[in-house]
Amino acid sequence: MNSLPIAIRTVRWMVRDTFRQSLSSKLFWVMLGMTAFCTIFCLGMTVETPGERERHPAEIRDYTRPGLDPKAVEEGIPVAGGRMSIGFGLFVFEVPKFKADAVKFFQLRLAGILADTAGVLMALLWTGAFLPTFLEPQAVTVLLAKPAARWSLLIGKYLGVVLFVTLHATLFVAGTWTAIGISTGIWDATYWYAVPLLVINFAIFYAFSAFLAVWTRSAIVAVFGTLLFWVMCWGMNFAHHHMVGLQVPGIAQSSSFLIEAGYWALPKPLDMSGIFFDAMQASTHIDPIQELEAVKEKGKFYPEMSVLTSLVFAAGILGIAVYEFRKTDY
Amino acid sequence: MTHAAVFDQVVKTYPTGLLGMGAGVPALRGVTLSIPAGGVFGLLGPNRAGKTTLVKLLLSLCAPTSGTISRLGAPLSDRRTLGRIGYMHENHAFPRYLSAAELLTFYGGLSGLRTDSLSTKVDQLLTRVGLADRRSEPIARFSKGMVQRLGLAQALINDPELLILDEPTEGLDLAGRQLLRQIVRELKAAKKTVLLVSHVLPEVEELCDSLAVLVAGKIVYTGPMATLIGTAEPSGKRLEVALKPLYEKEGVA
Repeated sequence: MNSLPIAIRTVRWMVRDTFRQSLSSKLFWVMLGMTAFCTIFCLGMTVETPGERERHPAEIRDYTRPGLDPKAVEEGIPVAGGRMSIGFGLFVFEVPKFKADAVKFFQLRLAGILADTAGVLMALLWTGAFLPTFLEPQAVTVLLAKPAARWSLLIGKYLGVVLFVTLHATLFVAGTWTAIGISTGIWDATYWYAVPLLVINFAIFYAFSAFLAVWTRSAIVAVFGTLLFWVMCWGMNFAHHHMVGLQVPGIAQSSSFLIEAGYWALPKPLDMSGIFFDAMQASTHIDPIQELEAVKEKGKFYPEMSVLTSLVFAAGILGIAVYEFRKTDY
Repeated sequence: MTHAAVFDQVVKTYPTGLLGMGAGVPALRGVTLSIPAGGVFGLLGPNRAGKTTLVKLLLSLCAPTSGTISRLGAPLSDRRTLGRIGYMHENHAFPRYLSAAELLTFYGGLSGLRTDSLSTKVDQLLTRVGLADRRSEPIARFSKGMVQRLGLAQALINDPELLILDEPTEGLDLAGRQLLRQIVRELKAAKKTVLLVSHVLPEVEELCDSLAVLVAGKIVYTGPMATLIGTAEPSGKRLEVALKPLYEKEGVA
Protein backbone atom coordinates (compact mmCIF):
# COMPACT_ATOMS: atom_id res chain seq x y z
CA MET A 1 0.00 0.00 0.00
CA ASN A 2 1.63 3.24 -1.16
CA SER A 3 1.60 6.06 1.38
CA LEU A 4 0.98 8.89 -1.13
CA PRO A 5 -2.49 7.71 -2.22
CA ILE A 6 -3.35 7.27 1.47
CA ALA A 7 -2.30 10.87 2.13
CA ILE A 8 -4.28 12.17 -0.85
CA ARG A 9 -7.32 10.19 0.25
CA THR A 10 -6.94 11.52 3.79
CA VAL A 11 -6.76 15.11 2.56
CA ARG A 12 -9.92 14.51 0.52
CA TRP A 13 -11.75 13.10 3.53
CA MET A 14 -10.65 16.01 5.70
CA VAL A 15 -11.84 18.54 3.11
CA ARG A 16 -15.22 16.82 3.03
CA ASP A 17 -15.36 16.81 6.81
CA THR A 18 -14.58 20.52 6.97
CA PHE A 19 -17.45 21.34 4.62
CA ARG A 20 -19.72 19.12 6.71
CA GLN A 21 -18.54 20.93 9.85
CA SER A 22 -19.25 24.32 8.28
CA LEU A 23 -22.75 23.23 7.30
CA SER A 24 -23.52 22.20 10.86
CA SER A 25 -22.09 25.37 12.36
CA LYS A 26 -24.49 27.38 10.15
CA LEU A 27 -21.47 29.33 8.91
CA PHE A 28 -22.01 28.09 5.38
CA TRP A 29 -25.56 29.42 5.37
CA VAL A 30 -24.66 32.71 7.03
CA MET A 31 -22.04 33.36 4.34
CA LEU A 32 -24.39 32.23 1.61
CA GLY A 33 -27.08 34.51 3.04
CA MET A 34 -24.72 37.47 2.93
CA THR A 35 -23.85 36.69 -0.66
CA ALA A 36 -27.52 36.43 -1.56
CA PHE A 37 -28.25 39.70 0.22
CA CYS A 38 -25.47 41.56 -1.60
CA THR A 39 -26.45 39.99 -4.93
CA ILE A 40 -30.04 41.15 -4.54
CA PHE A 41 -28.81 44.63 -3.66
CA CYS A 42 -26.65 44.68 -6.79
CA LEU A 43 -29.49 43.34 -8.90
CA GLY A 44 -31.48 46.41 -7.95
CA MET A 45 -28.72 48.76 -9.06
CA THR A 46 -29.28 51.61 -11.48
CA VAL A 47 -26.84 54.25 -12.68
CA GLU A 48 -27.86 57.41 -14.47
CA THR A 49 -25.04 59.70 -15.54
CA PRO A 50 -24.70 62.69 -17.83
CA GLY A 51 -23.91 61.97 -21.46
CA GLU A 52 -20.51 60.98 -22.73
CA ARG A 53 -17.85 63.65 -22.58
CA GLU A 54 -14.11 63.84 -22.15
CA ARG A 55 -12.85 62.74 -18.76
CA HIS A 56 -11.69 65.61 -16.59
CA PRO A 57 -8.65 64.92 -14.37
CA ALA A 58 -10.36 66.37 -11.35
CA GLU A 59 -13.42 64.14 -11.48
CA ILE A 60 -11.82 60.74 -11.43
CA ARG A 61 -10.62 60.53 -7.88
CA ASP A 62 -12.52 59.26 -4.91
CA TYR A 63 -16.19 60.08 -4.47
CA THR A 64 -16.57 63.84 -4.48
CA ARG A 65 -19.56 65.67 -3.16
CA PRO A 66 -20.95 68.55 -5.21
CA GLY A 67 -19.09 71.79 -4.78
CA LEU A 68 -16.02 70.27 -3.22
CA ASP A 69 -13.90 70.35 -6.32
CA PRO A 70 -13.57 74.01 -7.27
CA LYS A 71 -11.24 73.24 -10.14
CA ALA A 72 -13.77 71.02 -11.87
CA VAL A 73 -16.59 73.49 -11.24
CA GLU A 74 -14.41 76.35 -12.50
CA GLU A 75 -13.82 74.50 -15.75
CA GLY A 76 -17.47 73.68 -16.23
CA ILE A 77 -17.31 70.00 -15.39
CA PRO A 78 -20.12 68.68 -13.24
CA VAL A 79 -18.63 67.17 -10.08
CA ALA A 80 -21.75 65.25 -9.40
CA GLY A 81 -24.65 65.03 -11.75
CA GLY A 82 -25.08 61.33 -11.96
CA ARG A 83 -27.15 59.15 -9.68
CA MET A 84 -26.59 55.62 -8.52
CA SER A 85 -29.09 53.60 -6.58
CA ILE A 86 -28.69 50.13 -5.11
CA GLY A 87 -31.14 47.80 -3.44
CA PHE A 88 -34.03 48.83 -5.70
CA GLY A 89 -33.78 52.48 -4.68
CA LEU A 90 -33.11 51.85 -0.99
CA PHE A 91 -29.78 53.69 -1.12
CA VAL A 92 -29.14 56.54 -3.54
CA PHE A 93 -25.77 58.21 -4.16
CA GLU A 94 -24.71 61.08 -6.32
CA VAL A 95 -21.89 60.08 -8.63
CA PRO A 96 -19.57 62.40 -10.47
CA LYS A 97 -18.49 59.81 -13.01
CA PHE A 98 -19.47 58.13 -16.22
CA LYS A 99 -21.60 55.05 -15.90
CA ALA A 100 -18.67 52.61 -16.33
CA ASP A 101 -16.57 54.60 -13.89
CA ALA A 102 -19.35 54.69 -11.33
CA VAL A 103 -19.83 50.93 -11.57
CA LYS A 104 -16.09 50.36 -11.38
CA PHE A 105 -15.90 52.60 -8.34
CA PHE A 106 -18.68 50.59 -6.68
CA GLN A 107 -17.03 47.28 -7.58
CA LEU A 108 -13.73 48.50 -6.16
CA ARG A 109 -15.43 49.28 -2.89
CA LEU A 110 -17.20 45.93 -2.82
CA ALA A 111 -14.10 43.96 -3.78
CA GLY A 112 -12.02 46.01 -1.40
CA ILE A 113 -14.34 45.07 1.44
CA LEU A 114 -14.44 41.42 0.43
CA ALA A 115 -10.86 40.76 -0.60
CA ASP A 116 -8.97 43.26 1.43
CA THR A 117 -9.00 43.99 5.13
CA ALA A 118 -12.59 43.30 6.14
CA GLY A 119 -13.03 40.12 4.08
CA VAL A 120 -9.80 38.54 5.26
CA LEU A 121 -10.33 39.45 8.89
CA MET A 122 -13.95 38.27 8.85
CA ALA A 123 -12.97 34.96 7.26
CA LEU A 124 -10.20 34.51 9.85
CA LEU A 125 -12.62 35.28 12.65
CA TRP A 126 -15.31 32.91 11.39
CA THR A 127 -13.09 29.96 10.62
CA GLY A 128 -10.62 30.43 13.47
CA ALA A 129 -12.22 27.83 15.74
CA PHE A 130 -12.28 25.01 13.15
CA LEU A 131 -8.75 23.74 13.81
CA PRO A 132 -8.58 24.13 17.61
CA THR A 133 -11.89 22.23 17.91
CA PHE A 134 -10.54 19.51 15.67
CA LEU A 135 -7.28 19.27 17.62
CA GLU A 136 -8.84 18.80 21.07
CA PRO A 137 -7.44 15.53 22.48
CA GLN A 138 -10.88 14.05 23.10
CA ALA A 139 -11.86 14.69 19.50
CA VAL A 140 -8.74 13.72 17.61
CA THR A 141 -7.24 10.65 19.33
CA VAL A 142 -9.29 8.10 17.40
CA LEU A 143 -8.41 9.86 14.13
CA LEU A 144 -4.72 9.83 15.04
CA ALA A 145 -4.96 6.09 15.65
CA LYS A 146 -5.83 5.60 11.97
CA PRO A 147 -3.12 4.81 9.42
CA ALA A 148 -3.32 8.30 7.90
CA ALA A 149 -0.20 10.40 8.50
CA ARG A 150 -0.65 13.25 10.94
CA TRP A 151 0.58 15.82 8.44
CA SER A 152 -2.14 14.80 5.99
CA LEU A 153 -4.83 15.28 8.65
CA LEU A 154 -3.63 18.79 9.44
CA ILE A 155 -3.00 19.81 5.84
CA GLY A 156 -6.37 18.32 4.86
CA LYS A 157 -8.14 20.40 7.47
CA TYR A 158 -6.19 23.52 6.46
CA LEU A 159 -6.99 23.01 2.77
CA GLY A 160 -10.61 22.30 3.64
CA VAL A 161 -10.96 25.68 5.33
CA VAL A 162 -9.12 27.49 2.49
CA LEU A 163 -11.35 25.79 -0.10
CA PHE A 164 -14.40 26.67 1.95
CA VAL A 165 -13.41 30.35 1.87
CA THR A 166 -12.56 30.06 -1.85
CA LEU A 167 -16.00 28.70 -2.58
CA HIS A 168 -17.71 31.53 -0.76
CA ALA A 169 -15.48 34.21 -2.29
CA THR A 170 -16.24 32.79 -5.74
CA LEU A 171 -19.97 32.69 -5.05
CA PHE A 172 -19.89 36.26 -3.76
CA VAL A 173 -17.97 37.63 -6.74
CA ALA A 174 -19.97 35.57 -9.24
CA GLY A 175 -23.28 36.65 -7.71
CA THR A 176 -22.55 40.35 -7.41
CA TRP A 177 -20.68 40.54 -10.75
CA THR A 178 -23.60 38.90 -12.57
CA ALA A 179 -26.14 41.07 -10.79
CA ILE A 180 -24.23 44.27 -11.58
CA GLY A 181 -23.81 43.14 -15.19
CA ILE A 182 -27.52 42.40 -15.57
CA SER A 183 -28.68 45.62 -13.95
CA THR A 184 -26.17 48.02 -15.57
CA GLY A 185 -24.92 46.23 -18.67
CA ILE A 186 -21.30 46.65 -17.54
CA TRP A 187 -19.28 43.46 -17.27
CA ASP A 188 -15.87 44.33 -15.88
CA ALA A 189 -13.84 41.11 -15.63
CA THR A 190 -11.10 42.69 -13.47
CA TYR A 191 -13.55 42.43 -10.56
CA TRP A 192 -12.73 38.70 -10.50
CA TYR A 193 -9.22 39.47 -9.23
CA ALA A 194 -10.87 39.77 -5.82
CA VAL A 195 -11.12 35.97 -5.58
CA PRO A 196 -7.42 35.07 -5.85
CA LEU A 197 -6.47 38.06 -3.73
CA LEU A 198 -8.75 37.03 -0.88
CA VAL A 199 -7.76 33.38 -1.10
CA ILE A 200 -4.00 34.07 -1.12
CA ASN A 201 -4.32 36.64 1.64
CA PHE A 202 -6.48 34.32 3.72
CA ALA A 203 -4.32 31.23 3.11
CA ILE A 204 -1.21 33.09 4.31
CA PHE A 205 -2.77 34.24 7.57
CA TYR A 206 -4.69 31.02 8.14
CA ALA A 207 -1.35 29.19 8.09
CA PHE A 208 -0.37 31.29 11.09
CA SER A 209 -3.74 30.51 12.69
CA ALA A 210 -3.05 26.78 12.14
CA PHE A 211 0.30 27.15 13.87
CA LEU A 212 -1.33 28.83 16.89
CA ALA A 213 -4.06 26.18 16.94
CA VAL A 214 -1.54 23.33 17.02
CA TRP A 215 0.65 25.07 19.54
CA THR A 216 -2.06 26.14 22.01
CA ARG A 217 -5.21 24.19 20.97
CA SER A 218 -7.11 27.33 21.98
CA ALA A 219 -9.71 28.89 19.68
CA ILE A 220 -9.36 32.26 21.41
CA VAL A 221 -5.59 32.35 20.99
CA ALA A 222 -5.86 31.16 17.38
CA VAL A 223 -8.46 33.78 16.43
CA PHE A 224 -7.21 36.82 18.28
CA GLY A 225 -3.55 35.92 17.92
CA THR A 226 -3.99 35.82 14.15
CA LEU A 227 -5.85 39.13 14.06
CA LEU A 228 -3.10 40.69 16.14
CA PHE A 229 -0.51 39.18 13.84
CA TRP A 230 -2.30 40.68 10.83
CA VAL A 231 -2.16 44.12 12.47
CA MET A 232 1.54 43.62 13.19
CA CYS A 233 2.27 42.61 9.59
CA TRP A 234 0.29 45.53 8.20
CA GLY A 235 2.18 47.86 10.55
CA MET A 236 5.54 46.42 9.51
CA ASN A 237 4.59 46.68 5.83
CA PHE A 238 3.48 50.29 6.28
CA ALA A 239 6.54 51.24 8.35
CA HIS A 240 8.84 49.80 5.69
CA HIS A 241 7.22 51.75 2.88
CA HIS A 242 7.14 54.89 5.01
CA MET A 243 10.85 54.52 5.69
CA VAL A 244 11.87 53.60 2.14
CA GLY A 245 9.38 55.66 0.16
CA LEU A 246 9.38 58.89 2.13
CA GLN A 247 13.00 58.62 3.29
CA VAL A 248 12.33 59.62 6.90
CA PRO A 249 15.49 61.16 8.36
CA GLY A 250 17.01 60.17 11.70
CA ILE A 251 16.22 56.46 11.69
CA ALA A 252 18.93 54.45 13.42
CA GLN A 253 20.72 51.93 11.25
CA SER A 254 19.70 49.07 13.55
CA SER A 255 16.01 50.09 13.36
CA SER A 256 16.26 50.41 9.62
CA PHE A 257 17.76 46.91 9.40
CA LEU A 258 15.06 45.45 11.67
CA ILE A 259 12.25 47.02 9.65
CA GLU A 260 13.79 45.80 6.40
CA ALA A 261 14.27 42.29 7.79
CA GLY A 262 10.76 42.25 9.29
CA TYR A 263 9.25 43.40 6.02
CA TRP A 264 10.84 40.62 3.99
CA ALA A 265 10.27 37.91 6.62
CA LEU A 266 6.59 38.60 7.34
CA PRO A 267 3.47 38.53 5.12
CA LYS A 268 2.70 41.82 3.42
CA PRO A 269 -1.01 42.67 3.51
CA LEU A 270 -0.49 46.24 2.35
CA ASP A 271 1.44 45.09 -0.72
CA MET A 272 -1.28 42.57 -1.50
CA SER A 273 -3.81 45.40 -1.52
CA GLY A 274 -1.55 47.42 -3.80
CA ILE A 275 -1.17 44.52 -6.23
CA PHE A 276 -4.93 43.98 -6.27
CA PHE A 277 -5.77 47.60 -6.92
CA ASP A 278 -3.13 47.77 -9.65
CA ALA A 279 -4.66 44.69 -11.28
CA MET A 280 -8.07 46.37 -11.13
CA GLN A 281 -6.60 49.60 -12.52
CA ALA A 282 -7.98 51.41 -9.53
CA SER A 283 -5.58 54.32 -9.37
CA THR A 284 -7.88 56.56 -11.39
CA HIS A 285 -10.78 55.85 -9.04
CA ILE A 286 -9.37 55.60 -5.54
CA ASP A 287 -6.61 57.59 -3.91
CA PRO A 288 -3.68 55.24 -3.39
CA ILE A 289 -1.83 54.94 -0.11
CA GLN A 290 0.84 57.60 -0.20
CA GLU A 291 3.63 55.36 1.16
CA LEU A 292 2.93 52.62 -1.37
CA GLU A 293 2.96 55.11 -4.25
CA ALA A 294 6.23 56.59 -3.03
CA VAL A 295 7.89 53.15 -2.97
CA LYS A 296 6.59 52.46 -6.48
CA GLU A 297 7.90 55.76 -7.76
CA LYS A 298 11.33 54.98 -6.38
CA GLY A 299 11.29 51.63 -8.17
CA LYS A 300 11.54 49.76 -4.88
CA PHE A 301 8.26 47.90 -5.04
CA TYR A 302 8.67 44.28 -6.12
CA PRO A 303 5.19 42.72 -6.32
CA GLU A 304 6.34 39.24 -7.37
CA MET A 305 8.89 39.06 -4.56
CA SER A 306 6.32 40.42 -2.14
CA VAL A 307 3.82 37.66 -2.95
CA LEU A 308 6.52 35.01 -3.10
CA THR A 309 8.03 35.86 0.29
CA SER A 310 4.56 36.01 1.85
CA LEU A 311 3.84 32.54 0.48
CA VAL A 312 7.21 31.29 1.70
CA PHE A 313 6.30 32.56 5.16
CA ALA A 314 2.97 30.70 4.98
CA ALA A 315 4.66 27.48 3.86
CA GLY A 316 7.28 27.84 6.59
CA ILE A 317 4.84 28.46 9.41
CA LEU A 318 2.61 25.63 8.18
CA GLY A 319 5.68 23.38 8.12
CA ILE A 320 6.40 24.30 11.74
CA ALA A 321 2.76 23.56 12.62
CA VAL A 322 3.02 20.14 10.96
CA TYR A 323 6.30 19.41 12.77
CA GLU A 324 4.77 20.41 16.09
CA PHE A 325 1.64 18.33 15.42
CA ARG A 326 3.72 15.28 14.47
CA LYS A 327 5.69 15.30 17.69
CA THR A 328 2.83 16.23 20.01
CA ASP A 329 1.91 13.62 22.62
CA TYR A 330 -1.81 12.91 22.81
CA MET B 1 3.24 -13.78 14.16
CA THR B 2 3.03 -15.00 17.74
CA HIS B 3 2.64 -11.62 19.37
CA ALA B 4 0.23 -8.82 18.57
CA ALA B 5 2.45 -6.35 20.41
CA VAL B 6 5.79 -6.41 22.18
CA PHE B 7 7.07 -3.78 24.62
CA ASP B 8 10.74 -3.91 25.51
CA GLN B 9 12.00 -1.82 28.43
CA VAL B 10 9.61 0.98 27.57
CA VAL B 11 9.83 4.18 29.55
CA LYS B 12 7.47 7.08 29.07
CA THR B 13 7.92 10.35 30.90
CA TYR B 14 5.61 13.23 30.04
CA PRO B 15 7.50 16.50 29.77
CA THR B 16 6.62 19.31 32.13
CA GLY B 17 7.63 22.93 32.54
CA LEU B 18 8.50 25.55 29.99
CA LEU B 19 9.63 23.90 26.72
CA GLY B 20 9.61 20.54 28.50
CA MET B 21 12.60 21.47 30.64
CA GLY B 22 10.96 20.29 33.90
CA ALA B 23 11.61 17.00 35.67
CA GLY B 24 8.70 15.34 33.84
CA VAL B 25 5.97 13.01 35.03
CA PRO B 26 6.85 9.33 34.75
CA ALA B 27 3.99 7.21 33.40
CA LEU B 28 5.75 3.97 32.46
CA ARG B 29 8.97 2.79 34.12
CA GLY B 30 10.65 0.13 32.02
CA VAL B 31 7.69 -1.94 30.87
CA THR B 32 8.49 -5.24 29.17
CA LEU B 33 5.42 -7.02 27.95
CA SER B 34 4.32 -9.34 25.15
CA ILE B 35 0.69 -9.48 24.11
CA PRO B 36 0.03 -12.84 22.47
CA ALA B 37 -1.76 -12.91 19.14
CA GLY B 38 -5.23 -14.47 19.20
CA GLY B 39 -7.32 -14.34 22.35
CA VAL B 40 -8.29 -11.71 24.84
CA PHE B 41 -5.55 -10.03 26.84
CA GLY B 42 -6.43 -7.91 29.83
CA LEU B 43 -4.53 -4.89 31.06
CA LEU B 44 -5.54 -4.27 34.61
CA GLY B 45 -4.52 -1.63 37.05
CA PRO B 46 -5.77 1.18 39.27
CA ASN B 47 -6.30 4.72 38.03
CA ARG B 48 -3.10 6.51 36.98
CA ALA B 49 -1.24 3.20 36.69
CA GLY B 50 -0.18 3.96 33.10
CA LYS B 51 -2.68 1.75 31.25
CA THR B 52 -3.88 4.45 28.86
CA THR B 53 -0.30 5.61 28.25
CA LEU B 54 0.62 2.06 27.24
CA VAL B 55 -2.29 2.01 24.79
CA LYS B 56 -1.39 5.43 23.43
CA LEU B 57 2.17 4.28 22.81
CA LEU B 58 0.88 1.23 20.98
CA LEU B 59 -1.28 3.48 18.78
CA SER B 60 1.48 6.04 18.16
CA LEU B 61 -0.53 8.73 19.92
CA CYS B 62 2.62 9.50 21.86
CA ALA B 63 6.23 8.45 21.56
CA PRO B 64 8.21 6.42 24.10
CA THR B 65 10.98 8.19 26.01
CA SER B 66 13.09 5.05 25.64
CA GLY B 67 12.66 1.38 24.78
CA THR B 68 11.18 -0.27 21.71
CA ILE B 69 7.69 -1.34 20.74
CA SER B 70 6.53 -3.52 17.88
CA ARG B 71 2.96 -3.71 16.67
CA LEU B 72 1.60 -6.61 14.61
CA GLY B 73 5.16 -7.63 13.83
CA ALA B 74 6.30 -4.21 12.62
CA PRO B 75 7.97 -1.23 14.29
CA LEU B 76 5.86 1.74 15.39
CA SER B 77 7.19 3.80 12.49
CA ASP B 78 5.14 1.65 10.11
CA ARG B 79 1.79 3.42 10.36
CA ARG B 80 0.18 1.03 7.89
CA THR B 81 -0.24 -1.47 10.73
CA LEU B 82 -2.71 0.98 12.30
CA GLY B 83 -5.06 0.05 9.45
CA ARG B 84 -5.28 -3.42 11.02
CA ILE B 85 -6.13 -2.12 14.48
CA GLY B 86 -9.43 -0.98 15.93
CA TYR B 87 -9.55 1.36 18.90
CA MET B 88 -12.42 2.19 21.19
CA HIS B 89 -11.81 4.91 23.72
CA GLU B 90 -13.85 5.29 26.91
CA ASN B 91 -14.75 8.94 26.48
CA HIS B 92 -14.21 9.98 22.91
CA ALA B 93 -15.89 13.12 21.58
CA PHE B 94 -17.03 12.30 18.06
CA PRO B 95 -17.92 15.19 15.74
CA ARG B 96 -21.44 16.06 16.81
CA TYR B 97 -22.33 17.36 13.34
CA LEU B 98 -22.05 13.92 11.74
CA SER B 99 -24.75 11.29 11.67
CA ALA B 100 -23.95 7.75 12.79
CA ALA B 101 -23.61 6.54 9.19
CA GLU B 102 -21.52 9.56 8.17
CA LEU B 103 -19.18 9.01 11.09
CA LEU B 104 -18.57 5.36 10.21
CA THR B 105 -18.06 6.26 6.55
CA PHE B 106 -15.58 9.01 7.50
CA TYR B 107 -13.58 6.83 9.89
CA GLY B 108 -13.71 3.90 7.49
CA GLY B 109 -12.37 6.12 4.73
CA LEU B 110 -9.49 7.24 6.95
CA SER B 111 -8.79 3.59 7.76
CA GLY B 112 -8.13 3.06 4.07
CA LEU B 113 -11.39 1.32 3.12
CA ARG B 114 -12.80 1.89 -0.33
CA THR B 115 -15.94 4.00 -0.54
CA ASP B 116 -17.87 1.45 -2.60
CA SER B 117 -17.48 -1.25 0.06
CA LEU B 118 -18.10 1.11 2.96
CA SER B 119 -21.84 1.51 2.57
CA THR B 120 -22.62 -2.17 3.14
CA LYS B 121 -20.14 -2.37 5.99
CA VAL B 122 -21.66 0.67 7.69
CA ASP B 123 -25.17 -0.79 7.50
CA GLN B 124 -23.98 -4.11 8.88
CA LEU B 125 -22.18 -2.53 11.82
CA LEU B 126 -25.01 -0.17 12.71
CA THR B 127 -27.35 -3.15 12.77
CA ARG B 128 -24.82 -5.10 14.85
CA VAL B 129 -24.63 -2.41 17.55
CA GLY B 130 -28.36 -1.70 17.51
CA LEU B 131 -28.26 1.73 15.88
CA ALA B 132 -29.67 0.87 12.44
CA ASP B 133 -32.82 2.92 13.03
CA ARG B 134 -30.74 5.96 14.06
CA ARG B 135 -28.30 5.86 11.15
CA SER B 136 -29.15 9.34 9.81
CA GLU B 137 -29.54 11.04 13.15
CA PRO B 138 -26.85 13.53 14.28
CA ILE B 139 -24.61 12.25 17.05
CA ALA B 140 -25.47 15.38 19.03
CA ARG B 141 -28.80 13.71 19.85
CA PHE B 142 -27.24 10.45 21.07
CA SER B 143 -27.04 9.36 24.71
CA LYS B 144 -23.65 8.40 26.15
CA GLY B 145 -24.47 4.72 25.80
CA MET B 146 -25.37 5.17 22.14
CA VAL B 147 -22.12 7.04 21.51
CA GLN B 148 -20.25 4.14 23.13
CA ARG B 149 -22.02 1.69 20.82
CA LEU B 150 -21.08 3.86 17.88
CA GLY B 151 -17.51 3.96 19.18
CA LEU B 152 -17.50 0.17 19.17
CA ALA B 153 -18.83 0.12 15.60
CA GLN B 154 -16.11 2.53 14.40
CA ALA B 155 -13.47 0.35 16.07
CA LEU B 156 -14.73 -2.60 14.04
CA ILE B 157 -15.08 -0.77 10.72
CA ASN B 158 -11.77 -2.08 9.33
CA ASP B 159 -12.31 -5.67 10.53
CA PRO B 160 -9.28 -5.34 12.84
CA GLU B 161 -6.75 -8.03 13.70
CA LEU B 162 -6.15 -6.28 17.01
CA LEU B 163 -9.00 -4.56 18.81
CA ILE B 164 -8.09 -2.25 21.68
CA LEU B 165 -10.87 -1.51 24.13
CA ASP B 166 -9.98 1.18 26.67
CA GLU B 167 -12.47 1.06 29.56
CA PRO B 168 -15.17 0.06 27.06
CA THR B 169 -18.08 -0.45 29.44
CA GLU B 170 -18.04 3.11 30.81
CA GLY B 171 -21.46 4.56 30.06
CA LEU B 172 -22.87 1.36 28.59
CA ASP B 173 -26.16 -0.01 29.86
CA LEU B 174 -26.66 -3.69 30.63
CA ALA B 175 -27.67 -4.55 27.06
CA GLY B 176 -24.68 -2.64 25.76
CA ARG B 177 -22.32 -4.56 28.04
CA GLN B 178 -23.80 -7.84 26.91
CA LEU B 179 -23.36 -6.81 23.29
CA LEU B 180 -19.74 -5.90 23.93
CA ARG B 181 -19.02 -9.23 25.60
CA GLN B 182 -20.70 -11.05 22.73
CA ILE B 183 -18.55 -9.21 20.17
CA VAL B 184 -15.36 -9.90 22.13
CA ARG B 185 -16.22 -13.61 22.26
CA GLU B 186 -16.88 -13.63 18.52
CA LEU B 187 -13.52 -12.01 17.83
CA LYS B 188 -11.82 -14.50 20.09
CA ALA B 189 -13.47 -17.35 18.21
CA ALA B 190 -12.22 -15.80 14.97
CA LYS B 191 -8.64 -15.90 16.36
CA LYS B 192 -8.44 -12.11 16.54
CA THR B 193 -6.62 -10.34 19.37
CA VAL B 194 -8.45 -8.15 21.84
CA LEU B 195 -6.64 -5.93 24.32
CA LEU B 196 -9.05 -5.08 27.09
CA VAL B 197 -7.97 -2.23 29.34
CA SER B 198 -9.95 -1.97 32.51
CA HIS B 199 -9.95 -1.42 36.23
CA VAL B 200 -13.10 -3.50 36.63
CA LEU B 201 -11.94 -6.89 37.89
CA PRO B 202 -15.01 -9.02 37.10
CA GLU B 203 -14.94 -7.80 33.48
CA VAL B 204 -11.33 -8.87 33.01
CA GLU B 205 -11.87 -12.10 34.88
CA GLU B 206 -14.81 -13.03 32.70
CA LEU B 207 -13.36 -12.25 29.28
CA CYS B 208 -9.59 -12.52 29.36
CA ASP B 209 -7.35 -15.51 28.72
CA SER B 210 -4.28 -13.79 30.09
CA LEU B 211 -3.49 -10.43 31.58
CA ALA B 212 -0.91 -8.01 32.80
CA VAL B 213 -1.27 -5.98 35.95
CA LEU B 214 0.18 -2.50 35.78
CA VAL B 215 0.76 -0.55 38.96
CA ALA B 216 2.49 2.83 39.15
CA GLY B 217 4.02 2.43 35.69
CA LYS B 218 5.41 -1.09 36.27
CA ILE B 219 4.18 -4.53 35.33
CA VAL B 220 3.66 -6.44 38.57
CA TYR B 221 2.12 -9.53 37.07
CA THR B 222 1.80 -11.01 33.62
CA GLY B 223 0.56 -14.44 32.70
CA PRO B 224 -2.52 -16.59 32.18
CA MET B 225 -5.67 -15.64 34.01
CA ALA B 226 -6.04 -19.17 35.38
CA THR B 227 -2.61 -19.03 37.02
CA LEU B 228 -3.40 -15.77 38.74
CA ILE B 229 -6.70 -17.09 39.99
CA GLY B 230 -4.86 -20.24 41.08
CA THR B 231 -2.55 -18.20 43.30
CA ALA B 232 -5.54 -17.16 45.34
CA GLU B 233 -7.40 -19.31 47.76
CA PRO B 234 -9.23 -22.07 45.91
CA SER B 235 -12.97 -22.60 45.67
CA GLY B 236 -14.80 -19.44 44.85
CA LYS B 237 -12.28 -16.80 45.90
CA ARG B 238 -12.29 -13.86 43.57
CA LEU B 239 -9.49 -12.36 41.55
CA GLU B 240 -9.37 -9.35 43.87
CA VAL B 241 -7.93 -11.59 46.55
CA ALA B 242 -5.06 -12.52 44.27
CA LEU B 243 -4.38 -8.95 43.17
CA LYS B 244 -4.58 -7.30 46.54
CA PRO B 245 -1.06 -8.28 47.66
CA LEU B 246 0.37 -7.11 44.34
CA TYR B 247 -1.26 -3.71 44.66
CA GLU B 248 -0.20 -3.36 48.28
CA LYS B 249 3.36 -4.31 47.41
CA GLU B 250 3.53 -1.29 45.10
CA GLY B 251 1.96 0.96 47.68
CA VAL B 252 -1.23 1.60 45.75
CA ALA B 253 -4.42 2.03 47.65
